[in-house]
Amino acid sequence: MTNGKLIYIYPLPVRVWHWINASGFVLLILTGFQIRYAEMFNFMTLPNAIAVHNYVGFVVIANFFIWLIYYLGSGNVKIYIPDPRNLAALALRQVHYYGYGIFVGKPNPHIATAENKFNPLQQVVYLAIMFVFLPAQMMSGLFLWQIKRYEEYINLLGGIKLLDTIHVLLFFFFSSYLFIHCYLATLGHTPLARFKAMFTGYEEHRE
Amino acid sequence: MRKMNDFPLRYGLYIILTCSLWPTNLWAVENSECFECHSDESLTKESTDNILQAAITESLYVDEDKFEKSIHNINGIACVDCHADIEELDWNEEVPHALYLEMVRCVWCHEDSGEEFKNSVHMKMRTKGITMTCYACHGYHYVHQMEGASVAERTNSICLKCHNPNQFHDWLPSGDAHFASVECVVCHAPEVPRHIDLRFYDLLTKKFYTGDELVKILSLDFDKIIQTIDTNQDEIIDLNEFDDLFFMLKQKNIRPILRAELVADINSIAHQINRGSAQKTCENCHASDSPYFNAVSIILTWDDGTLERYNIDRAILESYYVSHFYLLGGTRVKLLDKIGLLIIAGGACTAFGHFVIRVLTISLRRRKKENGN
Repeated sequence: MTNGKLIYIYPLPVRVWHWINASGFVLLILTGFQIRYAEMFNFMTLPNAIAVHNYVGFVVIANFFIWLIYYLGSGNVKIYIPDPRNLAALALRQVHYYGYGIFVGKPNPHIATAENKFNPLQQVVYLAIMFVFLPAQMMSGLFLWQIKRYEEYINLLGGIKLLDTIHVLLFFFFSSYLFIHCYLATLGHTPLARFKAMFTGYEEHRE
Repeated sequence: MRKMNDFPLRYGLYIILTCSLWPTNLWAVENSECFECHSDESLTKESTDNILQAAITESLYVDEDKFEKSIHNINGIACVDCHADIEELDWNEEVPHALYLEMVRCVWCHEDSGEEFKNSVHMKMRTKGITMTCYACHGYHYVHQMEGASVAERTNSICLKCHNPNQFHDWLPSGDAHFASVECVVCHAPEVPRHIDLRFYDLLTKKFYTGDELVKILSLDFDKIIQTIDTNQDEIIDLNEFDDLFFMLKQKNIRPILRAELVADINSIAHQINRGSAQKTCENCHASDSPYFNAVSIILTWDDGTLERYNIDRAILESYYVSHFYLLGGTRVKLLDKIGLLIIAGGACTAFGHFVIRVLTISLRRRKKENGN
């Protein structure tokens, strides 16, 4: 029972990728806290937390490549690329909406479609996440998984503590981002609309 | 004439007196006498292997150069101090001492170690017919000074003679990293006091800097090196003093890294190794308040074979000076935790703050909607 127009916006591979990624991130963050703060948390033993972290890490890495192949293969990767000619203006418009318009009942200036799924702020953030932050996190995680095997590379990067710093700062960023991401997902026409859309693939647009 | 009569008596008394005051080992067998024969590489005897119980030909050769560098020789322990049943040599015989000598008992001197060993798994092996002697692990003629030895030197020369660390450690994440930086007995004899050893290392030449090299590089007075580094003279080098030391090295265009290792003190408790008693609770080490890092010291080795150890504030381990040693959680950079808290709280507060404003402005939107309708 819907009151608006249903638009197919999330193809099946994207939905499967998204939920694997989401559950992977939650598990990585939880085990990450257990690993770094073993003296504070006790919901898992350290070896188990490391084992889960490693396995899930590889699932997320494999999942990333599925995402990359799908988007590069389908050519849809362009939805992540902002248009530099009007990026500043559109981004400001979006900031104005989230900072003011949304409170006074103005409509979202960006209407998501399959071809233009992300608003300019999402484009910038997702571009950074998918092409910089996540690969950096995967690489640093891979090196930390086998520090003796990758010792030469780690030394070239300045040592294990610097590598860990990169991994940990990104871990904090992703943990923080999860709050924002989940919150923004509640800003559909109902709080659960976007969550449902990520299962069904259809997003409802209301006039 | 009278003088002539006094002479033998007087000098005889001198000789007796001198002999009575002189150390008895003046007459003991000298090492050089032992090496008359034992420097011959072909010197052997027929013996029986104490584990396999098979006939073996045992070499009786002792490398004099290596022996001279051994800790026993450095400490003035002579051959016959251990082979105490040799009281004199009879050079008229083919073998100038008894053909079969008594087994050397290390516990004559190393009594505490012997006591600890009695309750260890290595002693209990005797019930299975396998005798583990002290020198099966430590060797005998070439026992090295282990005080400043690295983890590799310690484990390679002792535990790894029999044990393959890749067996029985499947449960241990990053096993090879542990084996490279943590001495076996730190976990396997959990009661042994331990400390972190730091050394200056050059990544390009893959060599440790010796104390002499650092003194030369920094143009310091050999006797005043610690006074120069430990400026407040509290006998512990803190983070500020470390900053100054690295600055001095940087000025000389030297950029060493600090290699860190977790090793056991030279202590008899290290022999207290038993099946099932190894430290397997990772959190005991991988915690920021772990007692495993209470003692941190930097080692400077000198060309004459001696070494000096300077106490370091454990906060150094949490700094980027020690960027090539990181113990998950245990030596984490505390500043990152504060930054992390800000980042995560920033995200959560932004979302929550936005939500609160949306709730507070519901009436505003409702009014606008009603006006619009």
